[in-house]
Amino acid sequence: MRIKKLNIGILLFVLVGVVPFAAAFIYALLYSFGIIGVANDGFTLQFWESVITSGTFFKSFGYSFLIALVAVAISVGGALWITLKFRQQLETRFMSFIIYLPLAVPGIVTGFFTFQLFSKGGFFARISHKLGFITEASQFPDLVNDGLAIGIIFSFLTMITPFFVLLFLNVYKNERVEELSILAQSLGANANQISRRVFLPILLKKTWVLIVLYFIFLLGAYEVPLILGQESPQMLSVLIIQEIKQYDLDKISEGYVVAVLYTLIVSVAAILLFLPKRKRAYAT
Amino acid sequence: MRLNWKPFVLSLVVLLILFPFVYLVFLSLASEWRFPDVWPSYIGFKNWVTVFNSEAGLLKSFFSSLVISLSVAVFSTTSGFLISKAVFYHPKKRVLTLLAYFPYILAPVVFAACLSFFFLKMGLFGNMTGVVVAQFIIAFPYALLFFSSFWNEKVKSYEDLVATLGGNKWQTYTKVLLPLAKGLILICFFQTFLISWFEYGLTSIIGIGKVQTLTIKVFLFIKEANYFYGALSCCLLIFPPVVLLYFNKRYVFKKFV
Amino acid sequence: MKRIKFILFGFLLSLVVQSCGEKSTNNDDKLKSAPWEDIEAIAEGTTVNFMMWQGSTAINDYINNYVVPSVKGKYNINLQISGGQGPEIVQLVMGEKQADIEQGQVDMVWINGETFFQLRKVKGLWGPFVEQLPNASLINFEDSYISTDFQQPVNGMEAPWSINQFAIVYDFEKVPNPPKNIPELKNFIKEHPGTFTISNDFTGMTLLKSFMAELGGGPNVLDGAFDENKYKQLSQKLWKFINDNKQYFWKEGSTFPKEQSKMNQLYANGELLIAYGFNEGGIEDKVLTGLYPESTKGYAWSNGTIRNSNYLGILYNSPEKAGAMQVINFLLSPEAQLKKADAKGMDSNTVLAMDKLDTEWKDKFLDARKRQYGPTLKELEVNAIAEPAPEYMIRLYEDFRKNVIEN
Repeated sequence: MRIKKLNIGILLFVLVGVVPFAAAFIYALLYSFGIIGVANDGFTLQFWESVITSGTFFKSFGYSFLIALVAVAISVGGALWITLKFRQQLETRFMSFIIYLPLAVPGIVTGFFTFQLFSKGGFFARISHKLGFITEASQFPDLVNDGLAIGIIFSFLTMITPFFVLLFLNVYKNERVEELSILAQSLGANANQISRRVFLPILLKKTWVLIVLYFIFLLGAYEVPLILGQESPQMLSVLIIQEIKQYDLDKISEGYVVAVLYTLIVSVAAILLFLPKRKRAYAT
Repeated sequence: MRLNWKPFVLSLVVLLILFPFVYLVFLSLASEWRFPDVWPSYIGFKNWVTVFNSEAGLLKSFFSSLVISLSVAVFSTTSGFLISKAVFYHPKKRVLTLLAYFPYILAPVVFAACLSFFFLKMGLFGNMTGVVVAQFIIAFPYALLFFSSFWNEKVKSYEDLVATLGGNKWQTYTKVLLPLAKGLILICFFQTFLISWFEYGLTSIIGIGKVQTLTIKVFLFIKEANYFYGALSCCLLIFPPVVLLYFNKRYVFKKFV
Repeated sequence: MKRIKFILFGFLLSLVVQSCGEKSTNNDDKLKSAPWEDIEAIAEGTTVNFMMWQGSTAINDYINNYVVPSVKGKYNINLQISGGQGPEIVQLVMGEKQADIEQGQVDMVWINGETFFQLRKVKGLWGPFVEQLPNASLINFEDSYISTDFQQPVNGMEAPWSINQFAIVYDFEKVPNPPKNIPELKNFIKEHPGTFTISNDFTGMTLLKSFMAELGGGPNVLDGAFDENKYKQLSQKLWKFINDNKQYFWKEGSTFPKEQSKMNQLYANGELLIAYGFNEGGIEDKVLTGLYPESTKGYAWSNGTIRNSNYLGILYNSPEKAGAMQVINFLLSPEAQLKKADAKGMDSNTVLAMDKLDTEWKDKFLDARKRQYGPTLKELEVNAIAEPAPEYMIRLYEDFRKNVIEN
C-alpha cells in the first residue's frame, strides 16, 4: 500500500517536474538541427555552424557572465560590509521592516525605475540641468542602454543586495557568529582578525551555494536587460528570444541553438552544485 | 565621535529604499513632464481617474493577475507539499532533487519559448489556463524544494507514531503533518504567489499578449513610452507585496538551497 | 490524501486531453459568397481577437475607448485586443500550422506589406473577403497606394485601413534648415553629433529604404520585383554611409533605440534633433499631449519618403471569420474612419474616397482633418515613393543588425 502511494507521488513529480523540462530541451534540440520547424527541411548542422562561427553566442555569454559576476561580487561584498557594520541597527523594528521592502519590487519595475532615474531625460539629468552641470540632455553621461551595462548592473545590485543582507543577518544569528566572535576576542583576536577569520569564512561557507545560484539567475535575467540593455551584445535570454522571434524565418533555428547551449551550461552548473554529497549548506 | 557616521549612513539607506516607492507614486500622478523641467506641469489624479474609467483595462489586468497568481499559488503549494513527501522520503532523493533544480534554474522565458509548441498543441496558448499551467511548471519545483527540509527524521517518527497508535493516513495529515507544516505552507503559498505575480517573460510568450497581466501592461506602457501609466501600473504591481510584507516578512523573503 | 493526489493527476491529465476535443466545422468558404445579412447574423454575439501593434497611446485610445465599445453596442461583438505585430503574427501562424491548430488564437490582424508577404508565403491569410464588405465600396481601389502593398496586388486578401506617408520630424526653432538628402544629413550630423539615430524597428527600416532609393539615384529605383544584385549594391553603399558616419550618431552609433517610441522620447528630451515616423511623422497628437514642443514640424525627404497603406487581414484558422468581417467593415465605415481621422485623436488619413461619400460625410472629413502642427498627406504628395518589394525590408532588418549593430 505504502509503496504504491509513493509511486504515484514520484509519477506526478516526473510528470510536472521532469517531463516539461525534457520536452522543452528535446524540442529545442530537434529545432536546432532543423529536424522540426515549418521553414526547415531536414537534418542539418548549418545552424550550429553559423552560431559557433559567428561568435554571437560566446560574445553574449561572456557579456552576461561578466555582468552577473560584477553584480554578484559587488552585492555580496556590500552586503557583508553592511551586515558587519550595521547588524545591531538593522534589528530595530522599523529598520527590519524597511530592509525587507526592496524584495517587494520585481525586476521589471526596477528596470523601469532605473531608466526613469538615469536616462538622459531622466530625474538625475533634470537635476543636473537645474544645477547647471549640463545644458543639454545629450551631455548627461550614458548610464542606461550603455556599453558598460551600468544600468543593468545597478538594477541587479538593488535587487539582490537587500536579499544578501537579510541572508547574512539570518546566518549570523543561526550560526552563533556573535558568540564565536566573543570567544575569539577572549582568546586575544582583534576586530580585524575576527572579521577575517570568523565572520567571513562562516558566512561565505554557509551561503556560497546560494550565491552561485543567484549568479545563475542573473545570467538568465530577461526583463532588466530588455529594458536597460543595448542592441549588441545582448544578455543571453534577450538574445535567445530575439533570435527565436525574428523576421527571417530561415534563421529561427539559430535561436534554438543558443537556447540549447544555454540550457546545457546551466544544467551542468546545477549538477556540479547539487549532486555532490555534502552537508547541506544553508536551508530554511 | 567614532560611531557618528553610522546613523547618517543608515538614514541614507532608508531614504534610498523609500525613494523608488515615493518616486513611482509621484510619477503616476504626473503628466506633461518635459525635459528639463524638474517639476511636472501637471500633478494630480488625472492618470488614475482615466485609467480606472477607461477601457485601458488596468483594473481588469489587476484582477486577472490576481486570479492567475492565486491559482498558481494554490496548485503549486498543494502539489509541492504532497509530492515533496514522496520525493524526499525516496531512496534516490538526491537525484530527484537535482532533477527538480533543472527547471528551477533555467530562465523562465527561455523555458517558455521551448515549451510553446506543446502549449499550442494542447490548446493552452493565449489563454489564462495556459498561463496558469506554465507558471505552475516553474513554481512547482520551487514549492517542492521549499518543503525539502520539512520531511526529516523527526516528522517521519511522528508519522510512525500515529500509525502505531492506530491512526489512518487521513488523520496523519490532518492531525499531525498539516499542523506541523502550517507556517511553511503559508510562506510557500505567498512566495509562489509572488513568483507568478512578478512573472513577465513566460507570460508574454504563453499568453501571446492576450492574457494581459499587470507585468504585461507595464511593458506595454514602456513600449508606448507612456511613462506615467507605466508608473501607475508599477504601483499596482508593488503594493500588494508590500502589504504582505507588513503582515509577515517571511512571506516575501525567498531563500533556500 | 491519496484522493487529492488522484485529483491532481486527473487535473493534469484533463489538460492534456482537452486539446484533442477541438475540431472545427468548415463553413468558412461559404462566407466568401454569403449575403451580408447572413454574415451579420453569424457575427452577432461573437468574441473576436484582434492582434495589433500597440505602441502608440493615440491608437490604443482609439481602439480601447471607441472601437471596442462601439462594436459591442452595435453588433454585440466582444473585441479583444492583444499586442503583437510583424514577426509575432507570422510566428504565431507558423506555430499553429506546425501544431495543426484549426481554431486559432487570433481572428484579425493589423499588418503591412512585409507581414502580408510572409503570411501569404505560409498561406496564413483567409480570403479574399474584402469585396464582401459593404463599406469596401467607398474605397478607391484605383489608387495604387491602396491596391498595391509592397509591390504586391492586394486582391481582396486584406482590407486597407489607413493610408499615410513617412515624414521627418524636427523643431524649426532649433534647426531652421533641416537636411533633405543624404549629403546634407552627413553635414548635419557632423555639426550636431549625437542628434540622429535609426530606430531598430519598422520605422527605422522604412527610413533606410528611402535612403537606399536615394543612393540608387531616384525615387523609383526600387520599384518592381526584388532584385538581389540591386539590393546588394545599394545596401553596401548604405552600410558604408552609416558605418563611416556612425561616430556622429546617437551614442556614437554603439547602440540604437529598439522602438520608435523611444526615439520619439529622445526627440522630446532634446537629445535628438531629428526624428521620423509614419503617419506624416505622427506629430499632431504628440504636440497636443505635450510630448513634442509646439515648434515641431514635419517634411518629406527631397528624394521622397515612403507612402503606404496599412491593412487588416483575417487569419486562415480564425474561429470567428464572420465576426472579424463585421469588425473590419465597421472600421471602414465613414463613422469609424472619421473618428480615426480626427486631428485631435488618432489623426490618420482615411482610405475612403471623398467622391464616393455623401456630401454630409465629406464635409465632416474635411473639417476633421485640420492639423495645427503636422504636415498633411497632400503636402507631402509630391515626394511620395511606393513601398519596394517586401524582401528589401526583411533583408534590411537582418543586415542592419549584422553590418551595423554588431559591427
